[in-house]
Amino acid sequence: MKMLNMPVDVIATFNVQGKIRPNYIRLEDEEHTLQTFKIENIVFSREEKYAGMPAIHFCCNIIRNGCAQLIHIKYHVKTHQWVLVREG
Amino acid sequence: MNKIIFHIDVNSAFLSWEAVYRLRIRGEKTDLREIPSAVAGDVKKRHGIILARSTPAKKYGVRTGDTINDALKLCPNLVMVPPHYDLYESCSEAMMEILKEFSPCVEQYSVDEAFCDMTGTVGLYGSAVVAATLLKDKIYSELGFTVNVGISTNKILAKMASDFKKPNMVHTLFPEEIEQKMWPLPVGDLFFVGPASKRKLHALGIHTIGQLANTDPDILRAHFKKYGEVIHAFANGIDLSVVAEEAPPNKGYGNSTTIPFDVDDGSTAKMVLLSLAEKVCTRLRADNVMATVVAVSIVDIYFRHSSHQMTLISPTNITNEIHKAACKLFDRLWDGTPIRHLGIHTSKIVRGEVYKQINLFDMNRYEKLSRLDAVVDTIRERYGEDSVKRAIFLKGPVYHMAGGISPEKRKPMYKEGITL
Repeated sequence: MKMLNMPVDVIATFNVQGKIRPNYIRLEDEEHTLQTFKIENIVFSREEKYAGMPAIHFCCNIIRNGCAQLIHIKYHVKTHQWVLVREG
Repeated sequence: MNKIIFHIDVNSAFLSWEAVYRLRIRGEKTDLREIPSAVAGDVKKRHGIILARSTPAKKYGVRTGDTINDALKLCPNLVMVPPHYDLYESCSEAMMEILKEFSPCVEQYSVDEAFCDMTGTVGLYGSAVVAATLLKDKIYSELGFTVNVGISTNKILAKMASDFKKPNMVHTLFPEEIEQKMWPLPVGDLFFVGPASKRKLHALGIHTIGQLANTDPDILRAHFKKYGEVIHAFANGIDLSVVAEEAPPNKGYGNSTTIPFDVDDGSTAKMVLLSLAEKVCTRLRADNVMATVVAVSIVDIYFRHSSHQMTLISPTNITNEIHKAACKLFDRLWDGTPIRHLGIHTSKIVRGEVYKQINLFDMNRYEKLSRLDAVVDTIRERYGEDSVKRAIFLKGPVYHMAGGISPEKRKPMYKEGITL
């Protein structure tokens, strides 16, 4: 079954202007082992407020098995949780 | 200059909000709004009614307020989801924020409805219809749910307009359009006309809003008294109330609960009353008011309703005092039939500085109890409702602050994935 929005571990930096940048993300692979990936670049980010819940949506690239892969992650401002929206 | 009033109404509010949450936050694939679905209570706890239904469910004849069993007979494949009141509050707040960006004067009418005074905003947004469409689309693109906007020159007409055709529409109902758009509608559609008045009006041969509008007000006054004048004015599109930003002060504070089991002994019933009193008094104290009249209502297993009330010697907001009065009323009222539903209601609210009539036999308990209540309120505010409770509720079957929105309705447990 396709997993729903999954909570994930993220290392992020918060700059003095309040800008958030995710730097590393930890994902589970098929064998259920955790792997840390560096976030190479952020393609775009946008603020959302669906259902009255503020969140920041990031579309970014990680390098997995030697190729760049696009992932979408969201930071929930109220609960301070990061979730993986989709890969690719 | 004529006023411009908007009425904003969320289309099947609870269900839309649930759908947006599941799609956008939880990442589910099915949109509840596109399948026959409903937000419904819990049959096991005897809260078994439909709270909101989707448009496809409406086509099966499922109505808000139906019992779950009736709804399933009409639509066997109805998808039912539990309510989620924390979410509804956040959706409602977010919508009100957007409305306040558009208009300086916003009146929240209920959790999913609001009035906006848009008089004099032509220079900002263009004509009323353009502004309303912009507003509706902004809510949809930012928050993910659809609303209806009704436009008119007063509140009653704006409210009638937002009810015309759903979902995601803007309608106008200006005074010159009343005859064409509102008068052909059945009289039961008029705001303020409930099922009982509808029957009475039908008996008088009044079936449409137009007929009501053209009835001699004296006839209506003879049958309905003051209320007759009100509905006659509404049918003619007359409403002098203004968009009021601040809600009028509460006239009474009440709380009631349907108990998950039938209560057949007085001590359990009094425990339920204590838990109800606890919540009522917390609200009284939070608003810094006191109540003079206490009423208790009982619904027994045969759905017979009874109630009784009394006036206290002096106003109070102390849990113990209200509970004591409630127990006294309960003893006078209860005939021993097993109970299904209990309620406490307080009225004759006194605001501000109140001089307390000290009872000679009170033994100074009043001051001690009010200090105790204040401390308990502070602890609950800081650490949550369950952080401190009376020992009597420790192992009992009754939740210590019954009524209102219970914790499991605030945040349901989902089978998988995240709950944010």
